[in-house]
Amino acid sequence: MASDSNFQPTQRLHGLSWLFGLTGAIRQLVVPLIALLFFNVRDDTPGPFGPWIVPIIVTALLIRAVWVQLTFRYGFSLTGLVIHEGAIFRNVRHIEYARIENIDTERGPLHRLLGVAEVRVQTSTGGKPEASISVLGLPAVQEMRERVFSEVRPAEQVAADSPPEQTLLHLSIDELVRHGLIDNRGMILIAAAFGVLHETGIFVLDPQLLERLLESPSAAGLAALGLMMQIALGALTILAVVLAVRMLSVILAIVTLYDFKLTRVAGDLRARYGLFTRVALTLRTRRIQAVHQTESLLHRWFKRVSLSVDLAGDGGGGEGDNDSSRMRTRWLAPVCPAVSAPELIAAALPSLDWSHQPDWQPLAAGARGRIFRKTLAWSVLILTLPAIWYLREGAAFVVVSCVPLAWMHAHLYVKHTRWALAPDAVLFRSGWLKRRLAIVPRDRVQTLAVEASPFDRRSRMASIYVDTAGASSMAAGIRIRYLGAETAEQLASALYRTAGATAP
Amino acid sequence: MAPLQLSHVDPAIIGVWRWHAAIATLFFTVLVAVFSVPAPGIVWPLAPLLVALGGACWSWRWPPLSYRYLRFGVDDTGIAIESGVIWRSRIALPRVRIQHTDVSQGPLERRYGIGTLKLYTAGSRHTKIELPGLNHQQAIALRDALLAQGGASGV
Repeated sequence: MASDSNFQPTQRLHGLSWLFGLTGAIRQLVVPLIALLFFNVRDDTPGPFGPWIVPIIVTALLIRAVWVQLTFRYGFSLTGLVIHEGAIFRNVRHIEYARIENIDTERGPLHRLLGVAEVRVQTSTGGKPEASISVLGLPAVQEMRERVFSEVRPAEQVAADSPPEQTLLHLSIDELVRHGLIDNRGMILIAAAFGVLHETGIFVLDPQLLERLLESPSAAGLAALGLMMQIALGALTILAVVLAVRMLSVILAIVTLYDFKLTRVAGDLRARYGLFTRVALTLRTRRIQAVHQTESLLHRWFKRVSLSVDLAGDGGGGEGDNDSSRMRTRWLAPVCPAVSAPELIAAALPSLDWSHQPDWQPLAAGARGRIFRKTLAWSVLILTLPAIWYLREGAAFVVVSCVPLAWMHAHLYVKHTRWALAPDAVLFRSGWLKRRLAIVPRDRVQTLAVEASPFDRRSRMASIYVDTAGASSMAAGIRIRYLGAETAEQLASALYRTAGATAP
Repeated sequence: MAPLQLSHVDPAIIGVWRWHAAIATLFFTVLVAVFSVPAPGIVWPLAPLLVALGGACWSWRWPPLSYRYLRFGVDDTGIAIESGVIWRSRIALPRVRIQHTDVSQGPLERRYGIGTLKLYTAGSRHTKIELPGLNHQQAIALRDALLAQGGASGV
C-alpha cells in the first residue's frame, strides 16, 4: 500500500485525442456557436469581436483539448486504476480494481477510421461513469481490460491465457428487421421530429395557402370521388404512414444494433453492436441485478422475446448526461427466439439453480374483482363526458360496453400474473397483452416495502415492492400488487432474511 | 418481519411537526388573504379565515396521528420502518445494504433535541430511507449500531 500512494501513472492518451476532445466540445456548443456566428455576421449588431468570435472560441477549445491530452496520465497501480488530470488544478483519481464494473467502449465512424475508442470506466456508484477516457487506441483498451479484470478474477482463470469466447447470440439482418417491426422506435423519432418542427413554427397554417389548396383542381377531383373512395383514400394514407414508420423503425434497428453479438468470456458477457457507431459493453455477471423479459403481442406473433438486464452502476443519475441515455437499456438480446430465452437468462444469472420449475403462485382471491371494479370505475370516469358530448344517446352503449371489456381485462390480467419464490430468486410474471417476466436473485434484493392503501386494507390485501440496484427509478425492481396481506408479509419476511444474510 | 419488536420514536417530534404545519398554515393563509382581497362580498374575510381554521385544526390533529403510525424496529438483520396514516408502508432494510448514513437536524428539531436518521442504499427507488423523530443521541447510537457490521459493498 505504501508504494501505492506515490505511484506515478505513465500511460498517455492516444496521440489524436485532441481531435475528439475538440469535436466533442464543439458538438456540445453547436447551437450557441451557430447563433453567435449568425448574429455577428449581420452588420447591424456587431459583437465584441465581430466575425472573429467563433474562430476565437474554437481556438480556445482546441488549446484546452491539447492541454487535456498533454496532462492526462493513467496507470495500473497494485490496487487500482490511477488517473492524473491537469497540471495546475491537479486531480488524482484512484479507482480500485474490485469496484470497477464495466469498461465500455464506443466508437463512431471517425473513431473506427483512426482505430481508437472512447472508454468509460464504470463502478457501482451509479449515475455517470467514474472515469471517461477520450480517446485510447484499441491495444491500450485491450490492455486496460486485461489489467483491470485480471486483478479481479481468481488466479486459475488468469492462467488460461486467452479465454475462449463463446457466442451466445448473433442477430442476423432478418432478426433485426423483426426487432424493428416489433419495437417501432421510429414512432418516437417521428414524434420528436414533430415536436421540433412545431417549435420552429412550420405547422402554423397559412390561410391563403389552404384556400388555394382547397380550390385547386385536385381538391375538386377529390370531392367528386364520393364518400367510399374518400374513406378508402384516407385509409390508404394512414396505412402508408404506418408502413413508413415501421420501415423507419426497421432501418433504425439495423443501424443501431447491426451485427449484435452476445458472447461469454470467462463467465462475463460481452455485447457488441452498431453499424456506424460500434458499441462494446461488458456485462459482468457478478453485477447483474435483475433480468427482464418482455413479450408484446407482436413478439408473440413472431415467436420472439426481448431480454434486458439491470447492472449495478447504471440508473439513478444521468441527468442531462448525453451518453448515459444511450447506454440506458442493457440488452441481453433485443430480440431472440422465445425458445432460446431460458438459456440466455441462465447465462446471465449463472448463480441460480435452474433445475426446478418455479412454484408459480396466483394473486389474492379477491384480486380479479378489485381490478375489474378499478378498471371499470376509471374507464367510466374518463369516457362518460366525451361520449355524451360526441354521441349523445350512443354514450350509453359506450359506457355499458366498458363492463365486459373491464371484466376481460381483469380476468386475463389475473390469469397471466403469477409470482414465485425460489430458494435463490424471486420471479414475477405480469400482464396479458404485453407480458413481462422479471427475475431478481435473492442476494440482489436491496430493500423491501409492504404497502397498503385504504382499498388494500378493506379487502385485506397489500402490495410488495422489491427494490434492486441499477434500474431506472421508473421501472425498478418488482412490484406485486393485490397480494393477500399475510402472503405479502411472509414474502417480505423471507426475502428480508436472505437479503440480509448475504456474506460480504 | 413478524418477530421484529416495533417501537415508537420520541414524542417530541409531534411538537416539531405541529410547528411545521403551523408555519405552512400561516403561509397559505397570507397567500389566500392577499389573493382574495379583490374578490367581492364576503369572500375576503371568509376564505382566509377558513384556511386558517382548517390549517389550525389539521396542525393540531394530524401530527399525533402520524406519530401513532410511525414505528421502527431493529434486529440482527437490519431495520424496519413503518409509516403512513392512510397509505401505510413498511420498509425493511438489511444492514448489509446500507451504503452510508446521515443524522440531520433542522433548527426546530435542534430545539426539541431530536434528529432524523437517513439511510442510503444502492437501490433504484428507495435510495434514501428516512426515520424522523429520534432523540438525537439515540439517532447517533442507532446509526453506529447499524454500521457496526457494515463494510460490504452493498450491491
